[in-house]
Amino acid sequence: MPEFVSRAVLKPKGNRYEDFEIGRRFDHHWGRTINHGDNSFFTTVTLHFNPLYTNAEFARAHGHPDVVVNPMLVFTTVFGLTVEDLSEGGGAFLGVEELRFDAPVYPGDTLTARSTVAERRESSSNKNMGIVTWHTEGFNQNGERVIEFKRTNLVNKRSAA
Amino acid sequence: MRLATLTGKDNYFEDFVPGAMMRHARGKTVEAIENVILTNLVMNTAQAHFNEHAMKNNRCGRRLTFGGVTLALIIGLAAQDTAENALAELALDKIRFSHPVFHGDTLYAFTEVLAVGPSDREDAGIVHFRHWGVNQDEKIVFEGERRVLIKRRSHWADR
Repeated sequence: MPEFVSRAVLKPKGNRYEDFEIGRRFDHHWGRTINHGDNSFFTTVTLHFNPLYTNAEFARAHGHPDVVVNPMLVFTTVFGLTVEDLSEGGGAFLGVEELRFDAPVYPGDTLTARSTVAERRESSSNKNMGIVTWHTEGFNQNGERVIEFKRTNLVNKRSAA
Repeated sequence: MRLATLTGKDNYFEDFVPGAMMRHARGKTVEAIENVILTNLVMNTAQAHFNEHAMKNNRCGRRLTFGGVTLALIIGLAAQDTAENALAELALDKIRFSHPVFHGDTLYAFTEVLAVGPSDREDAGIVHFRHWGVNQDEKIVFEGERRVLIKRRSHWADR
């Protein structure tokens, strides 16, 4: 083992079940400006064939200023921004409820994310885990909400680490 | 530009009948291009999706596909038949991931029309779908409901 490895202190990431008091709010890191390449790449790799996302002339003929950002990219980006705070500490992603797309997103828009702990309970089958539901909202650069949803994960307890 | 020539003729609002069940034509094999690149593109920091070495010591033994990618692929595989003439995606609900997806798995999509109804604009209606994603062994990996605003043929087929 190289000498520096034995001296290095791990910089841990993520939270645990004990960190998710109901009502606790997280203003998530980074933000993400969605560009044309992101949208074209995501839409074509996922075979999402609606020309609103890939044909700017078609999108403009429907009253949009540019191609529309694929709503599934909006969802996964807002979700992605939440992961370090909410679920990187480990535990399976179980489901999503009550997701609403509130407003279209266009290339050049910048997304940010915020979540609140909505529910939590101990797992009945695994003492080392709990089940947590968060209410997540995504916003554009004007502060308009573009998406909201509830996400539920299994979450490791600190005591189990 | 003749808009109607760019999209299908059999997937307007009027074509969706409650109870209809669709098997979508194309499947897709999930590899690093789908899972790792899309996970990284959306800044999902969970290394279970991109660190093969760390996952060797985990119960799964290999990288897991991010559920958001599974969802986007299943809705993508269903999209030509259920969203090619959509004006907007409205909502998702009751999303469940019932079985893990690994690199090398091939996913297929199925859709049932649950309900159809009017919207607040006369040129489009709302279709309520239930989607399933299955792998090559017909194990269900994804299920969920979706509401989409879809053009009416009566208003859009000649545009």
